[in-house]
Amino acid sequence: MERRRALGWFAALGVAWMIGWPAAFAQSAAQPIPRAANGKPDLSGIWIAQGALALAAGEDEVKAALAADAAAGRTPLPARAAPPYRPEAEARRQYYLNRRGIDDPMARCLLSGVPRIQLRPLPFRIVQLPTEVIVLYEIHHAFRMIPTDGRPHPSDMEPSYMGESVGRWDGDTLVVDVRGFNDKSWLVGVGTVHTEQLRVTERYTRDSYDTMLYEAVMDDPDVFTKPWRIQERFRLRPNDRVREYECIENNEDLQRIEKLLQNESVFRLPTQQ
Amino acid sequence: MRVVVTRALALLAAATSVSAHHSFAAQYDAAKPLTLTGTVVKIDWTNPHIHIFLDVKDGKGSVIQWKLEGFPPNMLIRQGWQRDVTLKPGAVITVAGWHARLEANEGAARYVTFSDGRKMASGPPAGTWGQ
Repeated sequence: MERRRALGWFAALGVAWMIGWPAAFAQSAAQPIPRAANGKPDLSGIWIAQGALALAAGEDEVKAALAADAAAGRTPLPARAAPPYRPEAEARRQYYLNRRGIDDPMARCLLSGVPRIQLRPLPFRIVQLPTEVIVLYEIHHAFRMIPTDGRPHPSDMEPSYMGESVGRWDGDTLVVDVRGFNDKSWLVGVGTVHTEQLRVTERYTRDSYDTMLYEAVMDDPDVFTKPWRIQERFRLRPNDRVREYECIENNEDLQRIEKLLQNESVFRLPTQQ
Repeated sequence: MRVVVTRALALLAAATSVSAHHSFAAQYDAAKPLTLTGTVVKIDWTNPHIHIFLDVKDGKGSVIQWKLEGFPPNMLIRQGWQRDVTLKPGAVITVAGWHARLEANEGAARYVTFSDGRKMASGPPAGTWGQ
């Protein structure tokens, strides 16, 4: 076993050398998972969804990440299943797909909602405190404050894009229960509609110094026949920082979208004309 | 036919990567690729997209100014771009991308190739659907 592990590391270093492994990965790969004073894994750090890495930081970082995964024995995550929509909801999704995503709330700089905000090609910073986990997102300058002290959801929730989060620890996994959503965001991708009945259960498991497994189970009996589960892997970005991203600064998409909407045949799928 | 198209669409949507901000497919036409060589007039280094204004000779003696959209600054910075350094007015570059669906002289800039041959990603691939 030791020999196999040593061989694995040797192979990893070889691959890293060949593809020019960024220093960030090389420095941190051998470090243990940090732990907070209360013994729980410390999720603090700057993270980004691996599925967004190519756009966020370029193909070289994707290659480095995949090589690190292979060396550590981390298997690729399965392809995402389609949302298990009821026919009415699926028809709405198809409507938005046929309009090629022009209705995307994000194009209007609106908050991405959960879990979509976790999958953006811009990083987020987790700050783990003893009784609270704070997430600071580059996109939208959004934030989440996730109490982990046992308190319930607020009794005066207003429907919102990001909902209200409450966390608890299940062993080494942070489990976050998010409720109180409005129905204006998309869940994961174009047209993934939901209602105010949406409830998202997220699981954050730091499985190495550099990586964190993420799972979101979306439950909304008004649109789904069963809960929709997706997974993602987050990667630590030790040399990055959360920068300013003022989405509305020069959002010319608003005018362009208005013009396109007056010429629907230009952007709709040909089958729908 | 309708079913086939819908299935193909579903596959496409599943296979494409995330976009930074909006649906590429609504605004740009992946079936109309674009390659332009010209002189940089100015760069709007703004969110949620940068814009490169490029003077391009049309072969008849006229110069047409193109407006080409790229990634937001933060994504360019993470891929090695530096404001006012990587791309400056006066530079001669080649942009590869796609035509806008509506505007005649606008497009999405996927890659910029500099006069010394370096090539850098400047915007998302076609078909990003706002995953």
